[in-house]
Amino acid sequence: MSESRTVTRSMLHAFLAALIRSKPGLAGAVILTIFVLAALLAPVLGLPDPVKGDLLARLKPPTISLSGFGAHPLGTDQLGRDILSRIIYGGRVTLMIAALSVLTGGVFGVVIGLISGFFGGWVDRVLMRVVDMQLSVPLTILALLIIASLGPALHNLVMVLALTSWVQYARVVRGQVLAVKSREYIQSARAIAAHPLRIIFHHVLPNVMTPAIVVLTLELARIILLEAGLSFLGLGIQPPDAAWGRMLAEGRTFMSTAWWLSVFPGVAIMLTVLSVNLLGDWLRDYFDPHLEG
Amino acid sequence: MSAGHDHLLSVSDLTKTYRTRGGLFSKASDFHAVKNVGFHVGRNETLGLVGESGSGKSTIGRMVMGLTAPTAGQVTFDGEDVTSLPASRVKDVRRKMQMVFQDPYSALSPRMRVGQFVAEPMVVHGIGDSEADRREQVVGLFRRVGLNPDFMERYPHEFSGGQRQRICIARALALGPKFIVADEPITALDVSIQAQIVNLFQDLQQEMQMSYLFIAHDLSMVRYLCQRVAVMLRGRLVEIGPTAAIFGDPQHPYTQSLLSAVPIANPRLERARKRIAYQYSPETLGNQLEEVSSGHFVLK
Repeated sequence: MSESRTVTRSMLHAFLAALIRSKPGLAGAVILTIFVLAALLAPVLGLPDPVKGDLLARLKPPTISLSGFGAHPLGTDQLGRDILSRIIYGGRVTLMIAALSVLTGGVFGVVIGLISGFFGGWVDRVLMRVVDMQLSVPLTILALLIIASLGPALHNLVMVLALTSWVQYARVVRGQVLAVKSREYIQSARAIAAHPLRIIFHHVLPNVMTPAIVVLTLELARIILLEAGLSFLGLGIQPPDAAWGRMLAEGRTFMSTAWWLSVFPGVAIMLTVLSVNLLGDWLRDYFDPHLEG
Repeated sequence: MSAGHDHLLSVSDLTKTYRTRGGLFSKASDFHAVKNVGFHVGRNETLGLVGESGSGKSTIGRMVMGLTAPTAGQVTFDGEDVTSLPASRVKDVRRKMQMVFQDPYSALSPRMRVGQFVAEPMVVHGIGDSEADRREQVVGLFRRVGLNPDFMERYPHEFSGGQRQRICIARALALGPKFIVADEPITALDVSIQAQIVNLFQDLQQEMQMSYLFIAHDLSMVRYLCQRVAVMLRGRLVEIGPTAAIFGDPQHPYTQSLLSAVPIANPRLERARKRIAYQYSPETLGNQLEEVSSGHFVLK
């Protein structure tokens, strides 16, 4: 018991040490940690109310400078709401939606891909046709349908986003499973009469996770942008709540006069996506036993 | 063949037919990967199975192991028909027969530490009382195949081909089998390593009283390791007999051709070596194995 705890601790230690050695990985981890911490700690940071505006202080430009932060470091929007506060509170919503959607879609997609690739035959054919059907439905129509009938609640949004996402994992994982399945170590596992579930979890899954992690980083970025798009169409987060995509959409009309309305949420989206990609890149290398990591 | 003997493994009329799918312009047809093959392996004996690529050697190995279901025929192992085994008995049989694969580079699970990989059969079969106990056994297995037990915590990519094949052999030995199907276990290795692995097979056989079905296409290794040899051609068994008889007095034209292709390690003799050509045609192949001398059968 105590031995396994030391092993876990030393593994964590090795993981962190490797992360610190890698500059891009570390940068991604640091940026992402800052965003996540800010989102989690938003209520105790003493920020102005993100929803209630001060109509006398509308469209104020950013006041951040070398001498200090000022009243509204990143300015205010058309209703006089503090942009910094809205970005931090919006990050709560955006990051939570993105994380939940990616996890839901990822777990579902990986399981479907594993089943489809491993068992093959008619199971594979049926599942892959379902994937084709999913891909052939236009996303906006699907989102409209679900959100119009179920309402624009957060869990419905997560469901829609996950629904657009699982097929990516399923296809990539299935292809990888097909490649792994023909290798001799799978035959060898069958030769010792290992249970199919054991073969899947001990020999197939670890060897198909690398491409799945890559898909995950790409999907996380895509989902953040998609959520922005849905919010833009009014299908996502409802006003007055803040979400990065919504802020981007609302700021669009003031683009020529008040650039800070859309640029700062845009930068937040960009930094998040970038940090996830950097971290994902590093994770992939770390879990590849061929590269010393 | 000689019935009533207490053979460890006997195979009769083993057939594997693959049906090719008919397309728009082609008719579905049957491909006989293996056709009516019969042989036996005695206790503590090594039977070499030779033939060119695609002759069905590996298919036979997989059918014997139960990894591929035969279209027809029987495999009897230790007095039990293993072709129609109920699921509950599969584990018991696999404990007694194991397999070593051809390509040591794809035979090891790349993300599993090799110690774990060798211990896995014991975990699956519930051998050993604890993690520590199994570890102890893995150390023993590593020593037995000539590997340093300190390597247990390493990943497969850190090993050479010969070391990997030793790891595979250690895994095959973990269940204490009586019989090992070795599917071209040395083909993928350097020539200098091949002899080491063949010697390891030989030492293990003496230590652990095992039988081998040794699939190969390197005839000199087969001659060195096997007591009897079976020759395959296009899914058919064309000749089987004691090693001395096959190499000294080959009867089937295909066997003669195969043996004439082996280079001789003597430049003078090598220059005089004549390659005997063999033209395959399905019609000239007979249907009946005939005994030409004691235990030496030829397809006529």
